[in-house]
Amino acid sequence: MIEVSNVSKTYGHKKNAFTALKDINFTIEDGASVAIIGKSGSGKSTLMHAMSGLDRPQTGQVIIDGQNILELKQKDVDKFRAQKIGFIFQSFFLQATETVSDNVSLPLEIAKVSKRARKAKITAALEAVDLSEKARNKAKDLSGGQKQRLVIARAIVNEPQIIFADEPTGNLDSATGEKIEELLFGYNKNNGVTLIIVTHDPDLAAKCDVQIHIRDGQVSSIKGDKAVVKTPKPIQVKKVQ
Amino acid sequence: MKLRDTVRRAGRSLRQAKARTLLTSLAIGVGAFTITLSLAAGAGGKQYAADIVNTNTNPRELYVQPKQEQQGDPSAPKEYSEAPTINYGGGFSLKTFQQKDINAMKELGNVQSVTPVYNVSAKYVTRPGEKKYTVGVEAYLGTVKQEYAAGAGPKGQADGVILTDAYAKALGFASPQKAVGQVVDVVIATPLGETKTYPLTITGVTKKSALSALTGSGGLQVQNDKVADMYKFANTGTPLENSFIAATVLAKDESNVKTLKQQLTDKGFDAQTAEDLMGFIFQFINVLQGILLGFGALAVLTSIFGIVNTQYISVLERTQQIGLMKALGMRRRDVGRLFKIEAAWIGFLGGAIGSGFAAFVSVIGNPVISEALSLGKTKLLIVEPLSVVIVIVGLMLVSVVAGILPARKASKLDPIEALRTE
Repeated sequence: MIEVSNVSKTYGHKKNAFTALKDINFTIEDGASVAIIGKSGSGKSTLMHAMSGLDRPQTGQVIIDGQNILELKQKDVDKFRAQKIGFIFQSFFLQATETVSDNVSLPLEIAKVSKRARKAKITAALEAVDLSEKARNKAKDLSGGQKQRLVIARAIVNEPQIIFADEPTGNLDSATGEKIEELLFGYNKNNGVTLIIVTHDPDLAAKCDVQIHIRDGQVSSIKGDKAVVKTPKPIQVKKVQ
Repeated sequence: MKLRDTVRRAGRSLRQAKARTLLTSLAIGVGAFTITLSLAAGAGGKQYAADIVNTNTNPRELYVQPKQEQQGDPSAPKEYSEAPTINYGGGFSLKTFQQKDINAMKELGNVQSVTPVYNVSAKYVTRPGEKKYTVGVEAYLGTVKQEYAAGAGPKGQADGVILTDAYAKALGFASPQKAVGQVVDVVIATPLGETKTYPLTITGVTKKSALSALTGSGGLQVQNDKVADMYKFANTGTPLENSFIAATVLAKDESNVKTLKQQLTDKGFDAQTAEDLMGFIFQFINVLQGILLGFGALAVLTSIFGIVNTQYISVLERTQQIGLMKALGMRRRDVGRLFKIEAAWIGFLGGAIGSGFAAFVSVIGNPVISEALSLGKTKLLIVEPLSVVIVIVGLMLVSVVAGILPARKASKLDPIEALRTE
């Protein structure tokens, strides 16, 4: 379960202060697929960073498995990300000159998985995204769709609990995009992994169990299966005097 | 990330920027080359000096001179002493040994023999039908190993003489072999112009060798009694008649050389052991080596900035990669370590290239140098495996130090910022 409560994030100081997130509250059940929808600059990426321990909001709590990750020391947050989180970035961030399997190996090496165990996991991950035959190819020699599949393989290789996907189909044509969507949702359903997709694409968002709309750093609406996503308490409006 | 994986990834990153890695390594390689070569020259020089000293001196032998007075102010009045002295005028003088000094040395315990040093400058050496050449004459020492082009030492032959192949050639012998058994005339003159001719039979012709460079025995070697006789004749009527500039004292045993030196010093003599002589030469070599090492260190210092620069650029180029690794949970310490290990690889490569090239140069250069300096079989450049290891490890450490700043920059990168860079 992921509990986000009272999360606020401000950039800058005093006069130049910009509030990216304002008192965000919701809970996500394990195994759900959630879309965080919003326009560019709405704060959806900042929310993803806060939920994954990449960023530290000034206030609030992000409780995952009963542990508030915002209270952890830096090295424990790093360990948490290495072991429990999978990332799918919009711009791939693949190591172009490295082989496909070396790219997939990176999260395992960071998580200090032994060499022998790595081999089996890499094979399984590449099989899951149907890239086994390309294992020895350089990443730069892959097509766009193959690259995105490689990114997914890298995200799932260490069997994470939560996968964050930032515009996973943003750089792909619709046919390839659909295949990637199938892959992601299939993995989500079959393995019980929580999938959190950050997107501005309503069609993609509609395929998720729940849609959380973000506008100007605030949750504007939550739609979909109420069983998996809740707001723990009514949004309190404080009067400023 | 485990150390093994970090090392592997560091090596891979460097391979992906081959030209840059190689050029940076070459910069450090210049330093490694200079340092390895200076260490090799030092080792070779010491070996060479040790060879010379060991073959020219007997560890049991002490070189003894009269203690000279401080000659700070030549115009200051000096007390007269009965001891024989050579006056050069202008207040400078040199004390010499008398027979009674020699006897005093002989009376010391542990002494096997005392031999005064007789070095004579002959008026000339010649043979019928050939030109006359000036030459120095010294005593033949059986303890000194010499390389003969032909023949051997005079052994028991009282009028035997050894000359160098250069003299054999000058005196018109077609080959060193032809010279052996032939007679040359050595003419000695007194300061008053009296001359005496010593006909001597050639028993051996020496090659030019490592020894001749230091000993300067470019002249003739004859039996001790013969050169003693020449010395006596040549110095008739001079302050050196019956007195000597120096003497060699042979200890009975190697173990009591030190005590003997102390005894001689107590008697008011200036004694040097073979070890003292070697120490002086080694000090000289160390100074030369130090200068070369200084140049090497300077080259390394320059290359440090090269490494810092290269690694900084590498961090900038790989901002996204660093961001990704940190986002995936790589610890700051591990990111820093990755870049430090890359720097260490560069140091290793530079050290290996530089010292490898130095080893190559010494293999190629040794015969050339020995030929040019007429050192015989002596090798002047000795690349020791241990010094290569020390150079490489040292440069790796230096490189890691150089890599600290860029590594810090990498480890401090904010993953969100880094991933935002397109």
